[in-house]
Amino acid sequence: MAEDLVLDTAIRDWVLIPLSVVMVLIGILRYFVAKLMRSFQVPDHKIVKEGQVIVRARNLRAAANFIPPKSFRPRRVYFSNEENGLLFVPKGQAQNAQAQMFSDPNMAMDMMKKNLSMIIPQTLTFAWVNFFFSGFVAAKIPFPLTQRFRSMLQNGIDLSTVDVSYVSSRSWYFLNLFGLRGLFSLILGEENAMDDTQRMMQMSGFGFDPSKSLASEKDGLDIVQHEWALPKFEHRAEAVLKKLVR
Amino acid sequence: MTGHSDSSSSEKKSNEEMNDVPVFSAENMQNNMKVIYYSRTFMSIIGGVIAGILGFTGFMGFVFYFLVMTITSIGLIAKAKFSVHLYVDSWNRIILDGFMGGLMSFVLFWTFAYDIVHIF
Repeated sequence: MAEDLVLDTAIRDWVLIPLSVVMVLIGILRYFVAKLMRSFQVPDHKIVKEGQVIVRARNLRAAANFIPPKSFRPRRVYFSNEENGLLFVPKGQAQNAQAQMFSDPNMAMDMMKKNLSMIIPQTLTFAWVNFFFSGFVAAKIPFPLTQRFRSMLQNGIDLSTVDVSYVSSRSWYFLNLFGLRGLFSLILGEENAMDDTQRMMQMSGFGFDPSKSLASEKDGLDIVQHEWALPKFEHRAEAVLKKLVR
Repeated sequence: MTGHSDSSSSEKKSNEEMNDVPVFSAENMQNNMKVIYYSRTFMSIIGGVIAGILGFTGFMGFVFYFLVMTITSIGLIAKAKFSVHLYVDSWNRIILDGFMGGLMSFVLFWTFAYDIVHIF
């Protein structure tokens, strides 16, 4: 049962290549449509302020070892002071911000748009593939798979003795779906590899929950042990300058 | 070591060894990671086409993929002039990062080239 099937040349010309070309074009189209439809929402003043405070606190934590201990401590107290420190948010206020975030119509619209622009082309293309290109062997994958993959890969082909390597066009569609991600990241520039999982993570992280991030920044800042990393920098500066002069 | 800028190549120095504690310029390191990712993706696509044309099947094909990834790693290390710690923060980054990421692209182009050349 391991003889090579000879497949019609016309399948190559009219199935594999058009399907790949269509998927590439749809990906490019989706990228441009998403770019055009990106509505610029006016950022809320309070949220921007809190975001900047978090950025400052993060910078302080990252560079803590490069300022002397005497300067680090007052800065830390400024942020995490219990009464009027910037990072300390009373609990009642936190709930308010979160509820407001989710009922904000702009943000909901944005998320829905992103979801739709991801799902609709995939669904349409899948339906198109199933309608036109079912019922025949489309390609041969060069590596052997076990029998259990047969039902997944050979859905239109009703012969059970054909080698599992000969797959239908539905599996060619899925292979393209995963494999063209790398190609898109090369063609379209950095951020628009249509990586589903990455998009999901971005969306869930963008539920920009200010209270939680403030609390976590405060905890992080409290934990930092200050280690003065530049104790001998005067000597080292002297050595470097001497080398330059020589 | 005084800092000299290496702006002609596409990888930027992300670690200036002037301090006792290694400092990383986050922006440069991100750029380096991006370069590594692009190189790996591109090489996996080319490797897929080569594997398909040469007619590798089954296990040999995956062995070829690992070979291509290793050649990419060696190329990247050579480009970093063997002082890898100046450009990324650990050896693992430049060797193992994105190793499996190019696998799907490799399989796609391998299947494509194999079919076009051999089952025509």
